[in-house]
Amino acid sequence: MRAISRILPCVLAIGALSAAGAAAQAKWTIGMSQCSLEEPWRVQMNADIKAEADKHPEIKMVFKDAQNDTLVQRSHVEEFVSAKIDLLIISPKEAQPLAEPVSKAMAAGIPVIVLDRDIIGENYTQFIGADNLKIGKAAGDWLVKNYKGKKATIVELMGLQTSTPGQDRHNGFLNAIKGSDLNVIFRADCKWLEPDARKEMESALARYKKIDIVYGHNDPSAHGAYLAAKAVGREKEMVFIGIDSLPQEGVVYVKQGILTATFQYPTGGDVAILEALKILAGQKVEKRIVLGSRLFTAANVASGGEALK
Amino acid sequence: MVTFFKRALTSPAGRACLALILVLALGVIFNADGAFLKFGTHRDTLRQSSVLGILACGMTMVIITGGIDLAVGSILAVSAVSFSLLTIHMDWPWWLAVCACLFLGSCLGGISGALVSRAKLQPFIATLAMMTFARGLAKYITGGQKISTYLTMPDGQVVIKDLPQIFKSIDSRILGGNLSIVSVIFFVCIAAAWIFLARHKWGREIYSVGGNEEAARLSGVPVRMTKFLAYAFSGLMCAVAGIAQAAQETQGDPEAGDKYELTAIAMVVIGGTSISGGGRGSMGLTLLGVLTIGYLQKILSINAVPEAGRLMITGIIIVFAVLTQKRRTK
Repeated sequence: MRAISRILPCVLAIGALSAAGAAAQAKWTIGMSQCSLEEPWRVQMNADIKAEADKHPEIKMVFKDAQNDTLVQRSHVEEFVSAKIDLLIISPKEAQPLAEPVSKAMAAGIPVIVLDRDIIGENYTQFIGADNLKIGKAAGDWLVKNYKGKKATIVELMGLQTSTPGQDRHNGFLNAIKGSDLNVIFRADCKWLEPDARKEMESALARYKKIDIVYGHNDPSAHGAYLAAKAVGREKEMVFIGIDSLPQEGVVYVKQGILTATFQYPTGGDVAILEALKILAGQKVEKRIVLGSRLFTAANVASGGEALK
Repeated sequence: MVTFFKRALTSPAGRACLALILVLALGVIFNADGAFLKFGTHRDTLRQSSVLGILACGMTMVIITGGIDLAVGSILAVSAVSFSLLTIHMDWPWWLAVCACLFLGSCLGGISGALVSRAKLQPFIATLAMMTFARGLAKYITGGQKISTYLTMPDGQVVIKDLPQIFKSIDSRILGGNLSIVSVIFFVCIAAAWIFLARHKWGREIYSVGGNEEAARLSGVPVRMTKFLAYAFSGLMCAVAGIAQAAQETQGDPEAGDKYELTAIAMVVIGGTSISGGGRGSMGLTLLGVLTIGYLQKILSINAVPEAGRLMITGIIIVFAVLTQKRRTK
């Protein structure tokens, strides 16, 4: 009896798997190894991949979520290799530890697209990602252009400063406003979290009588700051700008008039699928693709934003 | 005079006050160009500490029974997303949604309680499991996304709904803008918990279970029921905190309340409630602990102390505060 109870689930599982295999008529299987689904931005990345993949019946997607654990992600890559998938898309958690599994996949003849975060070395087919330094700079440039020599004070609500995106969005912005009359008077590490941003903003409001600009490293931070300013009736005296432009966050905030501007940090999910199809069809592709950003403001949000150079 | 101070400092409440006074003194010294001395700063401090304070109310009960509740942050998230889903997306009347969330929170807390009291699991393990499960539940309910006023219909159309009035009401202020509703909710919670703990039969049973479980059993205290109720009460407080959190964020975030359990525990311990059981502690002490941590965070924030410094200072202050609590043995 005990043996049966152990074997039965296995038999059922094998049956289910073979049935699934028979049902799928896809020509290619693409594995997607996502490092974490704890951030809405990464959920969006998977959604973008799925939306694009659904348009192409010849491919079948398999998603794996490593739950923010490098070693789990490593074993996911190994599982994909032993399952002999046709192409691997990986958004790696860390650069160093995942280089080895990725090069093993390459050695097994599986092309690899590295999405968003880079890995050490060049042993992959293609890297697709956006540039946070550029986006931070774009935000700064936009403010400098709009304030044209007028003096203005800035509150900067930073993303996690031990992470590269947080550092890049800070440094890019700082480079852009250097030498202008824009001055950062208050900055705090809000770790990308909206409740933290609201608390820090309350402190800034208590301390400074005049704040002209709030720069949030992500849209939720800018939104939290808006709520803090609104609670003391000061939301009208300043502008709020953010980064990321997720369709259900930043873009909506711009539509509602909460944010004055948001700069898109594209997930590249759709681009990854289009490039994957090229690779699978045997075409040559570029080694690195740097995704462009888009600016959303009240003026252009209805028409889908404006591409930034 | 000296004897007055001596007597004040030998009582736990006096020592908890000392920790709070020291932190407030820090605030007066490092007042960030006078920002600390403004009334609005204190109102905001109270509001910011309220959600954590509500969690600390339930936590105090559990800790006095000799247990610990690690699941508070996760149950808060379940409550926050359920409340947002029911009111924003499903248009339930607010009172029904509040009742549903309070019921759900108490049930999740009650499951922890049953695991501790009936299945005899270690409180650390039982609530660790609940912490993991409830976080998963919050993500399952929401599909991993925040529940906001932005809605995608099945046909792909996008609808932006109005924020329900209850969200605005909870996140508003009364008495001429001088007291946040969230803080009022915190005061109601702590008053209710205080009455239960200090004046009700159940409160005395909680102390006796924490003091000596075997002796309590022999003297006829329903030990299992008492423990179960303590965890269920903690779950109820988490649900209240979750609703307050959702209202302040104007959305339900499945990641809300991450690591709040640690801050809530720190608040209770700094107040002087003993974490090693022994049935010592009270709600008044917890209130002092909540204010101590809340003011500390605020002072670090208005002075724009960098993250690294904040963490180190907070760690040092926690040690000092708990050291002042240590009963001096001659």
